[in-house]
Amino acid sequence: MEQLLVPTICTVDQLIEETPDVRTYRLKFKDDSLTDSFKWLPGQFVEFSLLGSGECTFCIASSATRKGYFDCSIKRAGIVTADIHNELDEGDEVGIRGPYGNWFPLEELKGKNLLFIGGGIGLAPLRSLIQYAIDTRNEYKDFTILYGARTSADICYKEEIEEWKNNESLKVILTIDKAEEKWKEHVGVVPKILEEKVNPVVENTKVITCGPPIMIKYTLMSLDKLGFAPKDVVTTLEMKMQCGFGKCGRCNIGSTYVCKDGPVFTYEELQKLPDEF
Amino acid sequence: MNLTTYITEPAGLQSFYEAIVATNETYAPVEKLGKFDYKQIKTPPECQPDSPIEQTMSIKPLFFPKSARVMKYEATAEGTDVTDTTEDPLAGKRVILGVKHCDARGLQVLDEVYKWDYIDTDYQKRRENTIIISARCEQAATHCFCTSLDYDVEQSDAMDVAVINGLDGKVYIQARTEKGEHFLKENASGLAATNGSALEEMKKQYQAFSGSFRLKMDYKEINGKMQSRFESPAFEEVATNCVSCNTCAFVCPTCHCFKITDERIRDEGVRYKSYDSCNNIYFTLMAGGHNPRPAKYRRWRQRAMHKFVYYKERFGVNLCVGCGKCTISCPVNISIFEVVNQVSNV
Repeated sequence: MEQLLVPTICTVDQLIEETPDVRTYRLKFKDDSLTDSFKWLPGQFVEFSLLGSGECTFCIASSATRKGYFDCSIKRAGIVTADIHNELDEGDEVGIRGPYGNWFPLEELKGKNLLFIGGGIGLAPLRSLIQYAIDTRNEYKDFTILYGARTSADICYKEEIEEWKNNESLKVILTIDKAEEKWKEHVGVVPKILEEKVNPVVENTKVITCGPPIMIKYTLMSLDKLGFAPKDVVTTLEMKMQCGFGKCGRCNIGSTYVCKDGPVFTYEELQKLPDEF
Repeated sequence: MNLTTYITEPAGLQSFYEAIVATNETYAPVEKLGKFDYKQIKTPPECQPDSPIEQTMSIKPLFFPKSARVMKYEATAEGTDVTDTTEDPLAGKRVILGVKHCDARGLQVLDEVYKWDYIDTDYQKRRENTIIISARCEQAATHCFCTSLDYDVEQSDAMDVAVINGLDGKVYIQARTEKGEHFLKENASGLAATNGSALEEMKKQYQAFSGSFRLKMDYKEINGKMQSRFESPAFEEVATNCVSCNTCAFVCPTCHCFKITDERIRDEGVRYKSYDSCNNIYFTLMAGGHNPRPAKYRRWRQRAMHKFVYYKERFGVNLCVGCGKCTISCPVNISIFEVVNQVSNV
């Protein structure tokens, strides 16, 4: 009974320590025949169960163009995520429901300059789209990634970022909040670097951003100052969710279900929602 | 399809109920310590279909249980074994007697969210396999305002069969849906079908009933005004006494928020889906401590706006049927009727 809520078993294929409090779990379906039927697009999320502990919502942090697995990057934050960090190891099993939610406006991004702005663990949902866009690189024009973290240790996907930096068709700008001895990249919060160092082209550019609320708040102000229209700024919302399919009532903002109508919204769409968050 | 109305005496109604109970899995209001809840019955004397609305619980738990097992799981040497094979105890063919009109309407309101996009097949099956037989109230209770909302209480097809005690001492049993018509063909064989005069008698009964309401509102006006009241300071005032006990949501025929929880004992565990409420302070609390609705007034705003603005916007109906259950059960006397009127008119 209550079939919509029953998860499918996946196995942790690989565990990657990203930062002191973020780990990426690379998952594969235990029943391999399900792998091909699990289709998702960048921006979608899953309900992830550590059976016995509970269920959490995580975006899928990898692109379906990289076949055979999917990643969830999990920051130790609450009860279940602490249990995941403490208990879940390679070879262990988890329950997965999904994919749920909408996705980044892939058609609208074609032929555009892409400007990704990420902060901290907020790079996770962007990474799915970044990988997707790298794998379909010819569809887009300029490709810029601005990524900030509190300290150099808090940077996620370090190896992959090195690959991005070595990819000549991408421009990668890294920053941390405060100067550190061996740090050779930028220092300063993301909105500041965006305004002072990135010099983004506004025309024909789509901005895709995700990060902590405070970063988003000031980044949106900077983007406005730089002349970006709210319809060209896309973000993905973090909201408490449980069912993932528009029934449990938890993620409502006004008549919008973040789990169904989102989590991806343009800034223009967000401005129309009641000012609850 | 023509829908038939049958006429009988109170004794005939009793026989009608007896016949139903004898051949169907039947639920009806059963008294316990002065309150009535819908329980399975074996003989009609156990129940009271005309139970007073103020003391009667909703039929919602027969479709959306307070707490239901979603699945069981077990850690074995081969890995995790998930089973969801428990039989749904609410999925069989059944009849519910003595359903109040407002409560039956509550299911129509819930249908909208359950059939939207992802279809809740468990809920749907319970709905399909249930015949709802209503008992129209003779008088409004103190907190009732069903006649003020966006459905036609007199003609409602929220029930399959309506039972109406006429002012003339007769009982009118009216099919309201095809399913009900079919059911009556099979179960009301001893009763006489009537013609237009029955409709007159039912109208008289409705007029007497609808004239007995203390509370009246213009829901369209409330819907309209509430839309612009998001920032209203009145929410703080109306929420002051709230103790966030969630009772209003649990007794409400239309509240449908739920939570998913796991219980584990050694290598075995169970997952449950249970009632939750937006009045619960933990409802939107996120890992890491951020909570968008930490204050009572924000939660009350969500509750009132969801009922009279958001759900209407999304699904076309109010998420309130005017049954007054929340107000009757509230330990601090908060009335949803007063809340939306106060917020709308400040």
